[in-house]
This record gives sequence, structure tokens and C-alpha cells, in this order.
Amino acid sequence: MASIADFARAPAPTYHMARPPKTGLMDWLTTVDHKKIGILYGLSGLFYLLVGGLEALLFRIQLAVPDNDFLTGEQFNGLVTMHATTMVFLAVMPIIAAISNYFIPLMIGARDVAFPRMNAFSFWTFLFGSLLLNSSFLFGGAPNAGWFGYAPLTGSQYSGSGIDFWWTGLAMLAISSMVAGVNFIVTILNMRAPGMTLMRMPVLVWMILVIQFLLAFSFPPITVGLILLGFDRTFGTVFYQVSMGGDPQLWQHLFWLFGHPEVYVLILPSMGIVSEILPVFTRRPLFGHHAVIFSGVAIGFMGFGVWGHHMFTVGMGPIADAAFASTTAIVGIPTGVKIFNWLGTLWGGKITFPTAMLFAVSFIPMFTIGGLSGVMHSSPPIDLQQHNSYFVVAHFHYVLVGGALQGLFAGVYFYLPKITGKLLSEKLGKVHFWVFLAGMNLTFFPQHFLGNHGMPRRIYTYPADAGWNTDNMLGTIGVILMATATLVMVYNILTSWKKGKPAGNDPWDASTLEWMTTSPPPVHNFDFTPVVLSERPLWDHKRTPGFEIPVPETSESIHMPSNSWRPMLISVCILLIMVGLLTHLWPLCIVAALGIVAGVYLWVTEPA
Amino acid sequence: MHTDAAPHRPSPSLATWLIACLSLLGAFALSGCDKPTRDVYQPVADSAEISAWFYHLVLAVDAVILAIVVTILVVAIVRFRKKPGDEELPPQSFGNMKMEVAWTVIPTLIVIGITVPTLGGIFELARKPDLNQKIIEVEVTGKQWWWEFDYAKEKLNTANELHVEVGTQVILNMTSADVIHSWWVPRIGGKRDANPGRRYPFYFRPYQVGTFDGQCAELCGASHALMGTRVIVHPKTGADSYEAWVAREQQQAQKPATPQQEAGQKVFMTKGCVACHTIRGVSELAVGARSRTSGPNLTHVGGRTSIAARTLPMTAQNIAKWVKNPQAVKQGALMTNLGLSDEEAAAVGAYLASLK
Repeated sequence: MASIADFARAPAPTYHMARPPKTGLMDWLTTVDHKKIGILYGLSGLFYLLVGGLEALLFRIQLAVPDNDFLTGEQFNGLVTMHATTMVFLAVMPIIAAISNYFIPLMIGARDVAFPRMNAFSFWTFLFGSLLLNSSFLFGGAPNAGWFGYAPLTGSQYSGSGIDFWWTGLAMLAISSMVAGVNFIVTILNMRAPGMTLMRMPVLVWMILVIQFLLAFSFPPITVGLILLGFDRTFGTVFYQVSMGGDPQLWQHLFWLFGHPEVYVLILPSMGIVSEILPVFTRRPLFGHHAVIFSGVAIGFMGFGVWGHHMFTVGMGPIADAAFASTTAIVGIPTGVKIFNWLGTLWGGKITFPTAMLFAVSFIPMFTIGGLSGVMHSSPPIDLQQHNSYFVVAHFHYVLVGGALQGLFAGVYFYLPKITGKLLSEKLGKVHFWVFLAGMNLTFFPQHFLGNHGMPRRIYTYPADAGWNTDNMLGTIGVILMATATLVMVYNILTSWKKGKPAGNDPWDASTLEWMTTSPPPVHNFDFTPVVLSERPLWDHKRTPGFEIPVPETSESIHMPSNSWRPMLISVCILLIMVGLLTHLWPLCIVAALGIVAGVYLWVTEPA
Repeated sequence: MHTDAAPHRPSPSLATWLIACLSLLGAFALSGCDKPTRDVYQPVADSAEISAWFYHLVLAVDAVILAIVVTILVVAIVRFRKKPGDEELPPQSFGNMKMEVAWTVIPTLIVIGITVPTLGGIFELARKPDLNQKIIEVEVTGKQWWWEFDYAKEKLNTANELHVEVGTQVILNMTSADVIHSWWVPRIGGKRDANPGRRYPFYFRPYQVGTFDGQCAELCGASHALMGTRVIVHPKTGADSYEAWVAREQQQAQKPATPQQEAGQKVFMTKGCVACHTIRGVSELAVGARSRTSGPNLTHVGGRTSIAARTLPMTAQNIAKWVKNPQAVKQGALMTNLGLSDEEAAAVGAYLASLK
């Protein structure tokens, strides 16, 4: 019977590069290798996960007891705004980008992404944007109008310079995401290995493809919204100023037209990861593979038609409310299809529970709880009570922590051995899982009660007689548990990276292409281009006679992209434009804009 | 088979799962110890009752679905765990068309079953009340960080505490003078945004006499948490009736009765308070002078139960504390710190608290 050891027989390929490769720090700064960029995204995401967690810990200390004065209202508003902005844009999205970057080319049998330099540009623009956003803590205070920054509170007469850092930083993140979206759409549609038809693509690749379309089409509305906000604040325009004929509701529509698809950007990759992990540890194929893919695509499409359910309290009128209530309820159908297909995968399998599987399995009920409370919000009579209350806080944390983040944790334990070549400690992994699961439920489940008992979100203090004391104390204890668990994970990653057990090529006996190459993979990923014969190429190679992946006798000749500092040059120029807008240094903006023109010229004329 | 498989450690035993689940349930039993005063699902008006009815409908459906999912999950985990030494592969099933159809069609029916009555609920909540009955209509303006209630027909203006009558239809027309606020008194009904530049109605009919608390539910700046409101539902008859309250409120402000109150009125007239506040019969702001930053009407401020939008209980001492340094009580408060002496602040407190 064939085994993955067969692949070692392939002769080593020969390289062609335009320039000799760089080494050390210079290599990391100028890299265009999707794997290195993936690692950079992953480390940044992990760092910001800790930052966002620390912010949550601080405001949970404030909320632990009633009438507390650990933080002022202004500081509290800054921390909740930065917690949400950080977790969404700087932690979860970059960790998704890390997994997409590292694994999409490996999973589709490609050498790199379609546009390696654009990929580097996405990363540096993200990193500089995130630093700009966080530098607000040092220069005049964090943004404090909430992560959805409703106008006119973000206007210059109501909010300080934090909002300037917020809109410029987010605008850079939006540029980064849109560029990445285009890059990955082209990569996935064009660079699959021979034989990998769309329906043979792993579910994770499908979900990443769907979210790239969501990124490419949902970030333009918020970018427009942010630029209008920037014009209002910087040049005194009145897009959101009622007294001059502007309309604050314009912001809400632009924001949620982005904001709802964004929620699916955060959750769909985790659904993809769970769909990859469950079959591996049940030893059978994903139940209803095609149904899972189509329901993911359906969720992505519907994501653009439901934004109004964030605005039922605004007074859009009963017709609009009814329309958005109906479209929102329909999203429940494909979501239910996915959940039952995952259960169908478990049913009849032979299940083992390494840490990756624990997170993947616990994703199912935790996400289901978040999904079911979401069904409540689709109904305006219920939502009018729950909107902006702690019930909604409970809902989206079950989706984003119980769902998205647990899925990504599963991904860390499952995929990191491919990146580092070392297995993570299962013992520490299980401590991480159980402590995190307990902390999460301790924090967020009682918040359903807090919402039903009338506690609005984003209040920095509350009276002792409102009946909210116990649930808030439980929430603070839960956050401490979650923080501890996350530190255990970080320790686990660092120690295993240094001295973990070697993982080998295929530690989980998996079925997709990324496990046929070495851990970590060589710079060119595969010594030869694999030919894909089924939707489980590696599984069938190992077990199904007639489906062995052919190993060529002759050496392949590979053209690899060379290091380039042009992507970072353009990112720096964009950062300088934003700094110029912040400081009203117009000459800096002009010089930086000319720098972008020069950078693009150097980029297109650079031999690749 | 595969060359370098990771060593799978033994899975956690069933007991571990059970202990974890039970200790979590124990923690949840704790929550619920407190006595909530703003329970959304103890409605006192028709609006909150409609919300509560739909909540219980969807809660029942959700509970059944969650029970099914968790049961299948637990049974699968228990029954289909890999036995030690069992290296045989399970049946390689790729799916089942009939089941796919079933779990597409059944959720579709559930969604239709929830959505159709929901649409009825939306229009029920938005239905304009019959204008031929007795109606209390109030213009509600959210301001950083308090609520202005203007009863146009009754020609009275008050702040933070809304007075209505049991059994009588209420129309609140919500707007804002600055940023977006959201008026939420959970036992009365779902929240409604107060948007600058727009006026949007909220209908309810209270059916229980009492005092019901709420607060702003849309982040509106530094002291968003201190933008409380209160609804006082009066009986139809008696000394505490709504009509009696209206009659009291319509009177001019009381005259100062003690030398200290007299001094307080003088401070009010001379130190700048009149630039933003009205006391009917003493000093009235012209309608045109009312702006984003003008403060509450104080004609009967002593009759209210709290000050600074339910931040402090109504006492002369608390008023003195508030006027002496508003920003110390409420970060970012727009009321000017006039630099009053302790004596002046105490006089103002005594005077305003006397304005029942």
C-alpha cells in the first residue's frame, strides 16, 4: 500500500530566482513567501489577542462590583472601543489571515499566492495601521465612541483625537483587507493543483474563498464611511452633521453594510477549520461535504442582505423592519444545515480527542447557543428589548469566542505542528481547553440574564440595587480564567516550538495535501506538483488502490519570487499620509503620495 | 499506513466531562440570586408584553433545538469514541440526501413559523393609536446626559422622570439635541433611539401603577452610564393621580419660605444659572434660547425623586454637591462649574429642593 514516504522519492527541484535570497532580519522585512507572511500575521494576531484580552480584563475589574471607580467613564469607553476593535480587526482577522496565508497555497498544491508582493503589502499595511490605531493610547487618548463609532458622537465637537487615530488606522486595515481579498480570490480560482476541481477543494479553502469575496465587497462601504468621517473631522464637511443637513443614519447603513458580512468573515473560517478537523479525528469523511460548502456560500451571500437588523431601534419603519427580520431569519437555515452535518460526521465515527478535536467539538454547542440567540434578534419585538443590552453581548461572544475563537484555537493545535515541525503539549492543551471553556461560559452565559434584567452594554458603572451584582462578578472571574488559559496556550506554543516532539509530515493521519510535504515545508512547498484525484487526495493515496498520487521521476524547475522591499515602501507612504492627515501636515501628505507613485513605478518595473 | 503518527493520549474520561458540566451548572445557579428590578419579562405595559410573548415563543423553539443538538452530540461522543486497540476504519459515509433534505426543510418550516407571527408583531408595535381616545403625548429629547420631557398639550416641561397614567395610551416622540441616545425602560417596552434631526414615535399603554427605572442604551459619551430615567405610572384617581400631578406641575414655582431659600433664589438669579435653566414665575428662558446645552426646567425640581438623571437621590445636600462641582459627580457634564462657595451651594440646594 502507498504511504507518504513515497513522496520523498521525488528528485529535488531546481530553482530560478531573480535575485539571491536575503537572510536574517532583512529576509523577514522583505519576504514575499506566503509562509513567512503567515507567521508574521500569526505572531501579530497572537500579540493583539493578548492586548485585547488585557483591555477586557481592565474593564471587567471595573464592572466586578457596583459603583466602582477603578476607571472613569472616559477610560472605560476607550477600553471597550479598543477591546472590540482590537479583537475583530487586529486579533481574529490576522489569525485568519495567518492560517489563510500559510495553508491556502499548501492545501491547493500551489507554490505561493498569485501576487506574493501584494501579499507582503497587505501585511505591512495591516501592521502599520494597527500600530497607528494603538498609538492613540500615547497621544491624547484612545478612541471612545464604541467599535461601531456611531455618528455624530464621532464628530469633532463630541470626541477627541482618538477618533482620528481610529478612522485612519481602520482605513489602513481596510486597504489591507481589500488587497488580500483580491489576492486570495485570484489564488484560489487560478492556482489549484491539476485535478483539484472546485468541489474537490477542502471546505476550509472554500470558506476562505467566500470570506475573500465578503472582504472585497464589504470593506468598500466602510472605507467610504471612514473617509466621509475623516472629511467631517479634518476639513469641516457635514456628511453626518444634522444641523447642516447631514445624516448620522448614513453612517449606520454604511457601517452595518460592512459590519454584518464582517461577522461572517470572522466565523466562516472557523466553520471551515472545524469541517477539516472533525473528519480527521472521526476517521471518516465530512458528512454532506457539498451541503456544508453550499450552506457556507449561502451564508456569505445572505450576509449582504441583513444589515438592517442592527438598526431595528432606529425607526426605519415597519416595512424595512419586516424585510430585514425575514432575511435575517433565513440565515438560520444554512447555519442549521452545517450544524447537523457536523453532528452527522461525528455519528458513526471512531472519535479520538486531542486538543484540536476538543476545541472543534465544543465549537458545535457553543456556536449553536450563539446562533439560537441570534434567531431571537431577528425578531424586532424581541430585539427592541435585547438590542444594546448584555443579552446581545452574550450572543455575539458565544458566536465570536465560543465560535470563531474556539475554531481558531482548534486550528492552532491542528496546524501549528506543520509550521513549527513540533507537536504542542497535549497536557497543556487540555488545561487550556477546559479552563477556557469554563471561563467563557462563566463570563458570557450569565450575561443573557443581565440583558434580560435590563443592563445596557457599555455602561462603566451600575447601581447596587439593580440586581446585576452576582452576574457581573461571575463575568469578571470568568475573564480571569480565560486570560489564564490563553497564557497557558502562549506558553505551550513557545515551549513546543523550541523543544516539542517532532511532528513528522502527517501527524494526524489527515487527508489533504498540506500534510504530504515536510513540516515545516520547504520554501517551494512541494518537490513536485501533486495531481489530485479525489476530494481526499492524501487519504486515498494512503488507502485506496488506484488513487495514489503519482511521484514524478524527473526534477521540476521552479520559478520562485524574490525578496522585495517595494511593498513595505508603499505601506510606509500610506502610513505617512495618515500621519499627515492626523497632524494636518499637508506637505507630508503630498510627499508621501508622490512616494506611493514612485513605489508603484519601482514595483511594476522590478524583475520578479 | 502512515509513517509518523502523533501519539494520541487517552481521551478525558466521561467523569471529567460530567464534573466540568456540573460545576458550571452550579455557577449558573448562583446567577439569579439577585433580585432584578428591571426584568424585561415582567412587563407593565402592552409594548413590553408583546416583546415578552415573542421572546417566550422563540425561547421554547430554541430550547428544543438546543436540546436536540446537545443530545445528539453527547450520545455521539459517548457511543462513538474510539476503543483502545480498535484500528479498523468506521464506515466511510459521504452523506445522505434524505437527511440533508430533512434538515433543510425542517429549519425552513421553523423559520417560517417564527417569522410570520413576528411580522404581525412588528406592525402591532408600530400601529398608530386611535387619536379619539385620551392620549398623553410627550416630546422626548435626549441630551448629554439627561432626558427632557415636554408635554405640549399640558404646557409643562420636566426632566428625567416621565409621569403617565395607568390604562391611558402614551405617545412618546423621540428626538435628540446632540448625539444618538436610546430611551429604555425595560418593563415598559423595548428601547427606541433618540436621533438628532428625526422624530420617531413610541407607543405604549401601561397597565400597572408604580415606578419603573431605565436608562440610556446607546453609547453617548463619558457619562452614558449616568443617564438614567424613570417612569411613574399614576393611578386614575386620588391624591396621587396623574391629573393631580399635572395640576401641581402647571402651577408657578413656590416662593422661598426661609432666609436660606431666599439666598438660594438670589444665587440662582445672579450667578448665571438663569442662562440655561427656567423656573417658571422666577426666570424663564425664551424658547429661542433653548439649545443643545440648555439645562432642565427646574420649576418643580424638588418634586422629582432624583437629580442629574438619577445619579443622586433628591436632597438639598446632593443638589449642593452637584452645583458645587458638576464634573465631579458626572464626568464631562455640560453644566458649568460656577465656582460657588459652600454657603452659596447649600443655599441653592435648599431653594431648589423646596420647589416641590
